[in-house]
Amino acid sequence: MEVLNLEFNEDQIDALREFMNVSIGAATASLANLLDAFGTMHIPKIEICDSSELSQKIESTINLESMYYATKQLFTGKFGGECMFIISEESARNLGKHLYKATTPSRDDISDAVIELTNILTSTIVSRLTQELDTQVQFFVPSSQFIDAHSIVNSEDVADYSKIIIISTILDFKDQKINGNIYILTKDEAIKSLKVLIDKKIEEIYG
Amino acid sequence: MKILIVDDSKIGRMSVIKSLKIVKPDAELFQAANGLEAVEIFKEEKPHVVFLDLTMPVMDGYEALKHIMSIDKEAQVIVVSADIQSEAKLRVLVAGAKNMYPKPINDEKMLQIFEQDLLL
Repeated sequence: MEVLNLEFNEDQIDALREFMNVSIGAATASLANLLDAFGTMHIPKIEICDSSELSQKIESTINLESMYYATKQLFTGKFGGECMFIISEESARNLGKHLYKATTPSRDDISDAVIELTNILTSTIVSRLTQELDTQVQFFVPSSQFIDAHSIVNSEDVADYSKIIIISTILDFKDQKINGNIYILTKDEAIKSLKVLIDKKIEEIYG
Repeated sequence: MKILIVDDSKIGRMSVIKSLKIVKPDAELFQAANGLEAVEIFKEEKPHVVFLDLTMPVMDGYEALKHIMSIDKEAQVIVVSADIQSEAKLRVLVAGAKNMYPKPINDEKMLQIFEQDLLL
């Protein structure tokens, strides 16, 4: 059986971070138009961890006391994985207030606002990321849940994988108090394909 | 001609350098990985042109731009960023940048920058 080399070298990590940076830039601009607001960009973080550590890694970046709207969208292709967006109940309420100009938005309004924002966010990020990697993906229908922090990662979802790469960053509209966490999760064989795509781009640019 | 390329990403810097080698093959190139390094190199080398990223650790591009413009109000700074919000562009133009372009820069854009944006 072939043993997968799932480690990334410094140049591969740097390139992946930069491609994610460009992708989140495109998504932030789309959302800035939607919200008529200015979003602060943050440097994306790349981590490779064992699948058993995923839950702990995600929980370390969020407030465990809060409830969350968590949207997950799978995509397949040469670069396949899952794009996950997590927004706290409070932030989602602020989004509903801002988007629908309501002081007390209804639960449905908040949920609609989160879905609208997530659709733009995940499709823009993944489309732009795959464009940067010169490849294409197919999207699955996203699923959305309102859950507590400990239920965001379902252990059954990751049981079949040895390693997971987490590409994460923050969506941050400070004045509107709207922020959320974005994660792209890619696993085992897809990590191998991702490395091939990154190496091709590095070769093109470095010559 | 001295040109300073500022980006925390190596591939980001290499992407700009690749086009510079086509458009300005004789230029002397300097690189910085954050705003603070950029300001230090700017003081020492007085580059004719600076290509500046915005989202960087230690000191971001907005802060670096302010410092560079306070050192030389005629500095020729082109911002190259993943941040493509119109307000981001407005902020850097108000701060003194000659123009702002979305990443990545290609050879055609680089030529346009030297022909239209820079006063050299």
